[in-house]
Amino acid sequence: MESPIQLVEGMTSKKVFFSALATGIIALALLLVSFGISGVAYAVPIAGVGDFYVEFDHLEGTGYTFYPKMGETSAEASAPQGTNLIDRLTIQNLKLYKDFNVGGQWIRVEITASQPVQISGLEQDAASIQANANFSNLVLAEKHSSDWQKQFKQTSSTIVLDHAKIKTHYLFQKTMSMNGMKVVVERINK
Amino acid sequence: MGFRNWRKKRPFGGAILTILSGLTILYVPLNLYLSTFLPGSMAIIGLLFGGVIILLGVCAMFFPGASRILGIFTIFLSILSVIGALGGFLFGTIFGIVGGSLLTAWQLGPAKQKASRTTGIDETAHSI
Repeated sequence: MESPIQLVEGMTSKKVFFSALATGIIALALLLVSFGISGVAYAVPIAGVGDFYVEFDHLEGTGYTFYPKMGETSAEASAPQGTNLIDRLTIQNLKLYKDFNVGGQWIRVEITASQPVQISGLEQDAASIQANANFSNLVLAEKHSSDWQKQFKQTSSTIVLDHAKIKTHYLFQKTMSMNGMKVVVERINK
Repeated sequence: MGFRNWRKKRPFGGAILTILSGLTILYVPLNLYLSTFLPGSMAIIGLLFGGVIILLGVCAMFFPGASRILGIFTIFLSILSVIGALGGFLFGTIFGIVGGSLLTAWQLGPAKQKASRTTGIDETAHSI
């Protein structure tokens, strides 16, 4: 007498697989296209680039916080820096650049934006900031703490910077709208 | 032989690819957190998505009956992980879409019978 038990095993339906794959790729493409149309890049980390310069003519921001830290740079594992946090900001004539020494000659990677750049959730570590600054409701406060990073904090409700040059080691923004962006890689004399 | 039989009864390839996708997606926010320790950042979404995708892959491995719905979740979350984690520089998203599709397309069906031996030993019952 034959056994009624039938052997079963897993199998992949090609039709379902390719339908799901196509749906996924179309959804991903739609998401990326929507980013492209709105000019928004979400959660852009430029981490680990290290020691690059940010220059701009005018910055207006709200919700500013500054505290000191020790952080990584491209030259050192730990160097003194300050963390700047700004909730929302608009920058006019933004220019970011980094110089690389490649085989004895200098190459500059430069990113510029001809239109005002809108950023939310900026976090930036800088070794030096040169600018004409205006603050409102500026508070500089010391706190008693065993953690040296918490011993000093500077906050202000608004910040305005003009003609700034900032030596940056780390940059993170939650959202960034950069219309009129231009990336140039060129040889420079240094 | 035991592992081969175990593997045949679950969406093994899809689950492995899904777990790989979760790990790749976790890479970006984990690096951000280790270097900044900043609370309230959007990178937390990346941590969440990466973790849940790994969990979906593990669930698909041990609950093969639910692989279709787990696959749909995997595809959905791996696409959304572009926001907040850059989708593991898009590699995680691609792995997630392929892995999720494999999970969705997986099903149990009658096994291909090998040429039966004349000894009359019923291997069917043994393998079940």
